[in-house]
Amino acid sequence: MDARLRRVNKEISDCKNDKSSNISIDLVDNSPFHLIGEFDGPEGTPYEGGHFKVDIIIPESYPFQPVKMKFITKVYHPNVSSASGAICLDILKDAWSPVLTLKSTLISLQSLLCSPEPRDPQDAEVAKHYMTSKSSFEETARYWTQAYAGGSGKEVRGKGRADGPRDEIAMAGLERAHVEKFQAMGFDRTKVIDVLRRLNYRGANVAQINDDKVVDELIKS
Amino acid sequence: MKVHVKNWHAIAQWRWDTGASDADDDGEGDVCGICRVPYEGCCPSCKMPGDDCPLIWGECSHVFHMHCLLQWIGTAASKQQCPMDRRPWVTAERKVAKQGR
Repeated sequence: MDARLRRVNKEISDCKNDKSSNISIDLVDNSPFHLIGEFDGPEGTPYEGGHFKVDIIIPESYPFQPVKMKFITKVYHPNVSSASGAICLDILKDAWSPVLTLKSTLISLQSLLCSPEPRDPQDAEVAKHYMTSKSSFEETARYWTQAYAGGSGKEVRGKGRADGPRDEIAMAGLERAHVEKFQAMGFDRTKVIDVLRRLNYRGANVAQINDDKVVDELIKS
Repeated sequence: MKVHVKNWHAIAQWRWDTGASDADDDGEGDVCGICRVPYEGCCPSCKMPGDDCPLIWGECSHVFHMHCLLQWIGTAASKQQCPMDRRPWVTAERKVAKQGR
């Protein structure tokens, strides 16, 4: 039997037998080379209470080549693309080793949620948000966890529960007052949110960016 | 022709002396970290365990099926490092088998 198939089958059954790690791996279709991994968001982080799904592709030369993983569940995190779910983690690239397994790699993703590396970002806008105001970043990450990962976590301050219609402002990690100020000048709400997010109009940064700069960007967009 | 084994009588068994005691067994058994097949089995490209598919020891004390380790070291991604500890791979001289196994 094919070495790759044998190893992957063993890994899947080992993971099924191990109830303590709370990590599951399931087949997407009939092929054991396309899988879905699932784990819970770590406690004490903005991802707590969420349940995260990861798309797993086993490459042809596994385990000599790293497994390909990306988030299916949307995650607000500096090392995860907010658009595609692509993950920036060394062991998925040049620090891969054949002794790593699907389970150990999923556990590494779980711990990546505990310790973001904004200096090596996958999503530069999210990383800027993190470095400008960690508390505002965490609030947004919590909101995303509720909205996308089924988090039943605590209510996000002043923004209500996220299971109703999604609040675009909270989603972008912005302040309502800021958005409304430029909306009052006659600009379209979606455009205002887009521009303020791109400019990282948050925390101490707000004082650095004058209104003319924002208006300029709004006219250009 | 089909052969049915009705009875068998073992007269000896062998094991690689990896230097690990049974107490170190973490329930997973002694498997090669690369292919996850027991040391006493053979690597995925071999059919016959034993001398035809030997183990290899690193200076760092880590053990693999020789064929598995050489395949890894042969890839550019390995950077010639041990898969376990990422130290430069240096093959250790074959240890003298301990007494009493």
